[in-house]
Amino acid sequence: MRSARISLTVTVTAAAITLLASSCAPGSSSDGGDTKQADDKKLTYLYFTDGPDEQATRDLIDEFEKKTGAKVNLQIVPFDNLEQRLQARLSGNNAPDVARLTDITPFRTDLLDLNKFQKGALNGKFLKGADSYITGKSGELLAVPSDLTMNGPLINVDQFKKAGVPLPDPKQPWTWDDMVKDAKKVQAANKTQNAIAMDVSGHRFSTMLSQYGTDFFDKTGKKPGLDTGKATAAVKRFAELNASGTMPKDLWLQAGTKYKAANEIFLAQQTPVYLSGNWQVSAFAKDAKFTWAAAPNPCQKTCGGFPGGKFMASFKQSKHQKLAAEFIAFMNSKASQEKLAKDANFLPTRKDLISSGVKYPKRDADMQTFLDDVKRTPQTAYASAYSPAFGATADASVKELAKVLAGDSSPKEAVEAIRAEAQKALKDAQ
Amino acid sequence: MTAMARTAPPRTAGPTMPGSGRRGSGHRRRSVKPWNQRLAPYLFVLPNMLIFGLFVIYPAINNFNISLYDSGNGRDFTYVGGSNYQEMLSESEFWSAARHTVIFAVCFVTLTTVVSIGLALLLNQKIKGRAFFRTVFFLPVVISPVVVGLIWGWIFERKNGLLNSLLGGAGLGQPGWLVNSTLAMAVVIFVGLWLHVGFYILIVLAGLQGIDSTYYEAARMDGASGWQQLRLITLPLLRPTTMVVVILSLINGFQAFDYIWTLTGGGPVGGTTLMVQYIYEHAFQSPVQYGAAAAAAVVLFCAVFALTVINYLYNQRKESA
Repeated sequence: MRSARISLTVTVTAAAITLLASSCAPGSSSDGGDTKQADDKKLTYLYFTDGPDEQATRDLIDEFEKKTGAKVNLQIVPFDNLEQRLQARLSGNNAPDVARLTDITPFRTDLLDLNKFQKGALNGKFLKGADSYITGKSGELLAVPSDLTMNGPLINVDQFKKAGVPLPDPKQPWTWDDMVKDAKKVQAANKTQNAIAMDVSGHRFSTMLSQYGTDFFDKTGKKPGLDTGKATAAVKRFAELNASGTMPKDLWLQAGTKYKAANEIFLAQQTPVYLSGNWQVSAFAKDAKFTWAAAPNPCQKTCGGFPGGKFMASFKQSKHQKLAAEFIAFMNSKASQEKLAKDANFLPTRKDLISSGVKYPKRDADMQTFLDDVKRTPQTAYASAYSPAFGATADASVKELAKVLAGDSSPKEAVEAIRAEAQKALKDAQ
Repeated sequence: MTAMARTAPPRTAGPTMPGSGRRGSGHRRRSVKPWNQRLAPYLFVLPNMLIFGLFVIYPAINNFNISLYDSGNGRDFTYVGGSNYQEMLSESEFWSAARHTVIFAVCFVTLTTVVSIGLALLLNQKIKGRAFFRTVFFLPVVISPVVVGLIWGWIFERKNGLLNSLLGGAGLGQPGWLVNSTLAMAVVIFVGLWLHVGFYILIVLAGLQGIDSTYYEAARMDGASGWQQLRLITLPLLRPTTMVVVILSLINGFQAFDYIWTLTGGGPVGGTTLMVQYIYEHAFQSPVQYGAAAAAAVVLFCAVFALTVINYLYNQRKESA
């Protein structure tokens, strides 16, 4: 009798809680479009740092505060947590006023149209490749590309010299065949574990695809663009380099689905060529105990690298929309971008700054090598990099490449799977 | 046999609960306590139940609700009924994660149970440095699983790892512990065991210390060997404790994620991707699919719940037999 009563109580309680939980759809649907604006001049800026950019950002914030009398609360979070935290804050109607993002796709419907407040200062001022990505369906300016990254090789100059191999000419890029041949010679002379290392990243592999003449998406960034023949050739070459030990196969297989940089292998002088990007320049200037340099991207069908970068955006939920837009405009003015580029070895995104050029106080030659590759990079690479479906497709490519390295699938099967994933990711992004 | 038959203890150990045995007397008088005394126990547990309900029960039930919706950002939800389940069941990645989870859980539970009982029996002996060994075995439990994953990752690394340096030095080759799916699964099971066994040893030790020593004295007087004492006294009386170990390690095995994520990232080629990682990737990696992740979490919950109930009922039947 007693147990029956307990069972009944438990059942009724569980049913009540279930009813309560399922009585309404989860989440909130407020778009925050008519958020009540506050009078105080306080901003929150959600930020992740690459290292040397933090101080430059703080200096610029100080300048902005002096100029406007505003108070900016810089909230630094680990990059890995950025998206989750932002999603949680948006769900709690507690969005920051401004955020630094690498991918605006998950937040497109939450972003403020910056043209409402700063059209003159921001619209049309940035590199063309990102236009379709940062522009909303009705022509809104959803974000500003705040810095550009360019993938490219870094080489161990000491090891090249010891092997008697001439350094590649930044003005006349080498080919994939040249790069592999030279790297192998340097590997043999220095007895390093590998000749070339690439970060475990679909973004980095996209560089190779682009050089082989194809990209995940077409020139609009809205349709799959992978050419089966060209992509298969790239995957085949990649698999051969890993199978032969020219590249560290274990690095890709051990990473699982996580991003894994190969910078430690390069810093430990176990590879003379490291395929990464310009964001390593500041870090290596500090950490490398040997002479190194940026090298031009190798050419195959095309030359140049693969772009990436960060964006600054504000949110419809912001209670300081006007001030937030003003802050974004200030941080991305010609003078501010130039300071950030010089202090943190970033590449500029403003058209005027790209054409006038930046003279870097540290590692200028390396940065100019990356800037030369910016000019050589085809427009389709920008369209692919800024496609809303790029992130998901790049992640899928890492899984598929690992299958090829493990012998579980062929290069052609991997290409077909990546293409199918690109199609699905485009559908999901709509 | 005759000696042991005489000394075999009853199936249940421990003191008789007050009030037990009165049932069925037919004349039990119900004591009427004032309402405030009857209410007091509930008030004592109320704060805990409120927190538990708010942060565990409500989210768990709400998770079921979310599994019926599609959402890419956690704010906009579209009702899709059972299609998240349908899609999940048609995905090869789901079945792969489910298969790996079952393999991991079975090996983990079996090894944890056997090793924790074995080590607890050793640590229950009057040996020199017993406190030291108990501390050593318990130490991994207090280390962050993320750190555990990183440390073992360095140890098992093929080219520069500690283990392969030793094996290579001894001319035993350099196995690809983390680049071969089978070896990687063995590694994560081993690391899981290393990480958690100390906790289960404590539970078994508590169980061992609850066994009345008079049973052993009587058995020794009757000439029972050590093996007979273990088989006919210790293990039967440890059954309730063993059930706790099995259930807890089963739940633990099905929830394994953090140290595996840092150790192998679910690789190579998904060879160590378990259900929780499958859920994590759907919930927090691009493209975010909260509904699909919630559906997988519901399936995992049902599986663990069903296995726990089956295990409980099986042991209840054994107890009463």
